[in-house]
Amino acid sequence: MRLVIDYQECRKSGQCSYLHPELITADPDGTPRVTIDAVDEVSREAAEDAVDICPSGAIRLVE
Amino acid sequence: MDTPAPLSLEQLRGDLAAFLSNPYPTYQEMRGQSPVQMEFIPGGIVPGLDEPIKAWALMKYDDVYAALRDHDTFSSARNPFVEKGFFPQLVLIMDDPPRHTRFRRLVNKAFTLRRVESLEPWITTVARELLDEIGTGEIDIVRSYTIPLPVKVIARLMGIPGDDYPTFKRWSDTFISSLISIPLEERMRNTMEMAEYFGKIAAARRSQGAEDLITALVDAEIEGESLQDWEILGFCILLLIAGNETTTNLMGNALSILADRPELWRRLQQDRSLVEPVIEETLRYESPVQQLLRMTTKETTLSGITIPANELVAVFFGAANRDPKEFPSPDEFRLGRDLRNHVSFGVGIHYCLGAPLARAEAKISLNAFLDRFSTLTHGDAPAVRQSQSPVVFGFERLPLSLNVGGR
Repeated sequence: MRLVIDYQECRKSGQCSYLHPELITADPDGTPRVTIDAVDEVSREAAEDAVDICPSGAIRLVE
Repeated sequence: MDTPAPLSLEQLRGDLAAFLSNPYPTYQEMRGQSPVQMEFIPGGIVPGLDEPIKAWALMKYDDVYAALRDHDTFSSARNPFVEKGFFPQLVLIMDDPPRHTRFRRLVNKAFTLRRVESLEPWITTVARELLDEIGTGEIDIVRSYTIPLPVKVIARLMGIPGDDYPTFKRWSDTFISSLISIPLEERMRNTMEMAEYFGKIAAARRSQGAEDLITALVDAEIEGESLQDWEILGFCILLLIAGNETTTNLMGNALSILADRPELWRRLQQDRSLVEPVIEETLRYESPVQQLLRMTTKETTLSGITIPANELVAVFFGAANRDPKEFPSPDEFRLGRDLRNHVSFGVGIHYCLGAPLARAEAKISLNAFLDRFSTLTHGDAPAVRQSQSPVVFGFERLPLSLNVGGR
């Protein structure tokens, strides 16, 4: 599975890169970037939380 | 610095009510010189504050954005008014990492988009019940709708009786009012009343839990330690105040904008997909939170101007949202803007925890009004802007004339 950010929906709140820096970092202007290629057993819970806490609903887990 | 002295809040105080009801011309005037240090509170006019309190005002979008994203340089935890006892120390909005990170993780789950969506049917029921009580004709919508709705919602989430909302409103008003209008003793009494109220509820939840946020707080352990009583109180006050006043103001501002624009009301009735853009543009145009404070932890530079370490910074969300460089013709209420970058909910680590809930309450409310009323216009009695606080922006009274039929 992969983490995908929908940049049309993203409002750059910064919550994902703040609370899950091991999965997502932010550019200097605040644009989030996913830094892991695939979500595995270890990162699954954190990835699901990143999806959950996005206030804009802009992050998804896809197969 | 040789630039002309900007308007200080002291000068504004001569006509503070006018400034509070329309701060935008002043923002526009000050923006060119921003960041600029101003006398935030002059010495000697607030008992207990003999020395003037100065703050660097940030009025440019880019500076506001940069300061909000740089939480290491712009601290939220150091607040001179808390140190002097004017405010209780709130959790989250007066925290820096790592404490902020732990608390944010703790409460995030209660306010996610998904959780809010699951509450929407119930919020819709509450909205409709309030409108049933209102009926039609001229109504002060603040007293009868925009205050009670968010209180009932947050009260249910927290697990406190929603019927106590006149008391909550009084606490909230005292909390956010300017330091001049309410003396320190009354503020402290207010804090003690809140502490007693929430202390009793926390104690009750400790002996018997329920499905609510206060139970989650008393049960929560952060790194093996339970929350202290003052931390639970700080959370409750934050939720009750940040969660109510702001949403009340967002809904009032939106309804007033619609009452000014009958054409827009008719468009909304034909096309409900415009409800969300109207709410986002309302957030930009009349930001419910106009400003919050930070303290520099080290020397920093914004727009080429150096701000020393350990100085207070007033971050003006309301000015950033009207910066013509970011939002062309900012003083026009206009649909069709790209509004993903307004800063009404902040940016970065302190991004409003309740943003999804506020958006849902506003959306549900506008739809409920559109379902029920054919026309919505200003009433005969005058609308009154709140004039106690430079922090928030909304109405104290907003008489609206609500009519059904006769389309």
